[in-house]
Amino acid sequence: MNAWLLGAAVLLVTLLGVGIFAFRGPMFDRLVGLQLASAIGTLALLLLAEGYGRDIYFDLAVVLAAVSFGGTLAFVRFLERWL
Amino acid sequence: MSAGHVAIDALVALSVAVAVLCAVGVLVTREPLDRLHYVTPVAAVSTAVLATAVVLHESFNARGLKAVLVAVTFIVLAPVLTQATARAVRVHRFGDWTIRPDEKKKS
Repeated sequence: MNAWLLGAAVLLVTLLGVGIFAFRGPMFDRLVGLQLASAIGTLALLLLAEGYGRDIYFDLAVVLAAVSFGGTLAFVRFLERWL
Repeated sequence: MSAGHVAIDALVALSVAVAVLCAVGVLVTREPLDRLHYVTPVAAVSTAVLATAVVLHESFNARGLKAVLVAVTFIVLAPVLTQATARAVRVHRFGDWTIRPDEKKKS
């Protein structure tokens, strides 16, 4: 196991904790958990891509970085206006 | 192991450490507005450091450029998201995001 995969493993464990956090507690705490999970998930994908030498994982990381922004922003606007 | 490999491993470790510490910070603090402060280092520092490590390892080929693209995306878009979330918290609590008169007195 190289440093990339070791880092990815640590981040995936962290992602599990943040994921549990995003399922519990008040509404906006969950939203912050979702934001953090998006960033950590993207980092884990980058590490996995480099660790396994798979180009497609880099594409996934790029797409996740862009799409998670739009998704979280949609949640933010929804919570701000209607809840 | 060359100095370059040591530098790359150190950058990967730094990136992961910042992400883990920020996750702990989010779990420990109580207020959503305080928690938001811990999201920014992951988006700004961790991604930039990791992109630097990938570029050192791969040079500026497709992989390196994609890692830089991810870092730039986060660095540009994360502050927008943080501001929007903080604004939503205030609107949800007070009905408006602007500073209230009692907050002006405190400052």
